[in-house]
Amino acid sequence: MSLKRITKELNDLGRDPPTSCSAGPVGDDLYHWQASIMGPPDSPYAGGVFFLSIHFPTDYPFKPPKISFTTKIYHPNINANGNICLDILKDQWSPALTISKVLLSICSLLTDANPDDPLVPEIAHIYKTDRAKYEATAKEWTKKYAV
Amino acid sequence: MPRKAKLEEQISSVTDPRDFLRTQIPELSDVDTLLRCHICKGFLKTPVLTPCGHTFCSLCIREYLNRELKCPLCLAELRESMLKSEFMVSELVTSYASLRAKLLEFLDSSKNSRTVALTSDTSVIEIPEHHTKISNDDTNDDDDIQIIETRESRPSKRTSDLVLMSHKKSRKDSSKSGITSLFSKTKSPPSQQDLANCPICGKSYHVEHLQRIHLDECLTLGALDQPEPANSSSIAEKAPPTPEKSSAVVEPIAKRSIKPSVNVETTHYNRYIESAQKKNVTRLAKLNFSSMSLQQLKNKLSSLKLPTIGTRQQMMNRYNHYEMLWNSNFIDSINSVDERELRRRLASWEASHNGSEPIQRTSAISKFLNKNPTSVMEGFKTDRFDRKGWMRSHQKVFRRLMKEAKEGLKRSRKSRPENVSADEAKETYDSSLQHNESISSETNAVPSNQLLTKADTFATSSQSSTAL
Repeated sequence: MSLKRITKELNDLGRDPPTSCSAGPVGDDLYHWQASIMGPPDSPYAGGVFFLSIHFPTDYPFKPPKISFTTKIYHPNINANGNICLDILKDQWSPALTISKVLLSICSLLTDANPDDPLVPEIAHIYKTDRAKYEATAKEWTKKYAV
Repeated sequence: MPRKAKLEEQISSVTDPRDFLRTQIPELSDVDTLLRCHICKGFLKTPVLTPCGHTFCSLCIREYLNRELKCPLCLAELRESMLKSEFMVSELVTSYASLRAKLLEFLDSSKNSRTVALTSDTSVIEIPEHHTKISNDDTNDDDDIQIIETRESRPSKRTSDLVLMSHKKSRKDSSKSGITSLFSKTKSPPSQQDLANCPICGKSYHVEHLQRIHLDECLTLGALDQPEPANSSSIAEKAPPTPEKSSAVVEPIAKRSIKPSVNVETTHYNRYIESAQKKNVTRLAKLNFSSMSLQQLKNKLSSLKLPTIGTRQQMMNRYNHYEMLWNSNFIDSINSVDERELRRRLASWEASHNGSEPIQRTSAISKFLNKNPTSVMEGFKTDRFDRKGWMRSHQKVFRRLMKEAKEGLKRSRKSRPENVSADEAKETYDSSLQHNESISSETNAVPSNQLLTKADTFATSSQSSTAL
C-alpha cells in the first residue's frame, strides 16, 4: 500500500510539479526522498534554495512523512537540526494530504512564520519584537547557506 | 540495473487522471479523480460513505480509523460503525476502471481522424472544432456530411448504451426483470420491441439482424450495402471518405463495444440490482483486549479458525486486522469472498506486517543484500539499519577480513628479523586498532576546534550557538 501510494505521488510530482518546489527519491529507495524549495519571493528567504530530506514511514500515508531541512535556515519554527514545527506533520496529519501539499505548506510557513508556536524561542522573540533584525538575519543566513 | 527498471515500470504502471488531459475530453480527468480514494490514491475499492459525505476504500478508511477517529478529508468525528457501503459507486468504479484503458485509447486515437464522428457520441464534441478548422478546405463537403450524420444519430441517444441494450434484450428475452425491461423501454424506439438502433449508423433494425449481419457490414463498409432507404442513408454512403482509414479506426471499436464490454456492463448492473439480497453475515466486533485473558483471546481466535501462535500483541494485531478484513468483506463489499480467502489474505499480511522478531531480521537482511551497495550505506547511517543482523549475516566476510589483516601483519613482521606467533600478532593487531582509534579521535578533535575558532570570527556565531 505505502509503496504504491508513494509511487503515485512521485508520478504526480513529475507530471504536475507544484510551483517553486521539487521532490524525488534519493537513489532507488522510494522511502527516502529529497526535496527542494525556492525561498518565496515575498520573504527574507527569497533567492535561496532550501533542501529537505523526506523519510516515509512504512505505514505511510497513515503516519505522516518525516521531513527536515538539510539546508540551514533562520526561522522561528525550524531548529538547527532542520526539524520543522508544522501541525500537519504531527497531530494534524491526514492521509488525504500529499507531499506536494506538505511542501506548499512549508513554503507558506516560510512566508508566514508562526511565532506563537515556536521551535526556536529566541528567533520567535526577535521575530515578535524586532522584525527588521529577524529579516536581516534570515536574509544573511539565506545568502550564506542557501545560495 | 533491474531494480531501477522495476521502479520505472512501477511508475509507468500508475494511472493518472491527467492521462485524459491530452485527449479530446480533458474534462474526463475530473471524473477520473473523483473515482479515486483519497488515502491510497487508487480507484475506490469497496467504497464506503462517511456521514460527512466522503467516500474512501473500505480497507483504507478502516485502517485509518484504527489510529484516528476522524474523517481524513474534513476531520469530522468518525467511527467504523458509521460507515455505509456504496454499491452504486463500487460498480461505477469497477466498470469505469475496466473501461478506462479503452476509453483513453479511443479518445487518443480518434484525435486525428474525422471519420470516428460516425461511431461515437464522444466525438460529437469534436465536430464543431473540425468544422471550423476544415470549413475552408476542399473537403468541405465531406465535413458537412459528417455533421448531419452525427446530428441525426444524436437524438437516438448514446451509442454505447444502445449496444448494451440490444444485447441485453436478446439475452434476456425469456427472463427479463422488471427493472431491466423498464430501462429498455425508455431507451429503445417505442414502436417495436425487438428493434434496436445500430450504434454506428443509428438506424433501427431487428436485434437478430443487427447482431448477425448489420453490425459487421456497417462497421466494415460504412453501411453501404443497406437496402433500407432511411433519410440519412444516401449521405451515409459517402460519409467515410477513405474506407481503409475508417475501417482501421472502427475496427477496435467493433471489438470493444460489441462483445466483451457488454458482458462486463451487464454483470456490474446485475450485481448492483441484486446487491441487497444477501447480507446474512454478522459484523465482527471490536474487542476490549485489556479485559481479556490470554486464554479468552486464544479461544476467540480459534473460534474464527485463526492461528493462536505468537505473543499476545501479535494475536491482538491478528484479530484487529482480521476484523477489518472481515467487516470490509462481508459488510461493505458487494461481492464478498469466503472465509478461507480472508484467512489467506490475513496470512499474507502477517508475513509482512505481524512477523515475530527473527523473521523480521532475516527479511531485513535479505532486503539489504538485494539492494545495491550505495543504498546499503544510506541505510547504515540511519537508525533503521539492523546492525546485529548485518554482523551476523556477514560473519564469514568479517572473519576473512580479520584473517587477511593478521596475515598482512605477519608478513610485515617477517620482513623484520624475528618471527612472531599468531597470538602475538593478534595482540599487536588489537593494539594497533586502539592506536588507530586514538588517532582518529585526535583527528576528529582538531577540525572541530578549528571550526569553533573559525566560527568565532563569523558575525552570526552567537546566533548559531544559541540555536544549537
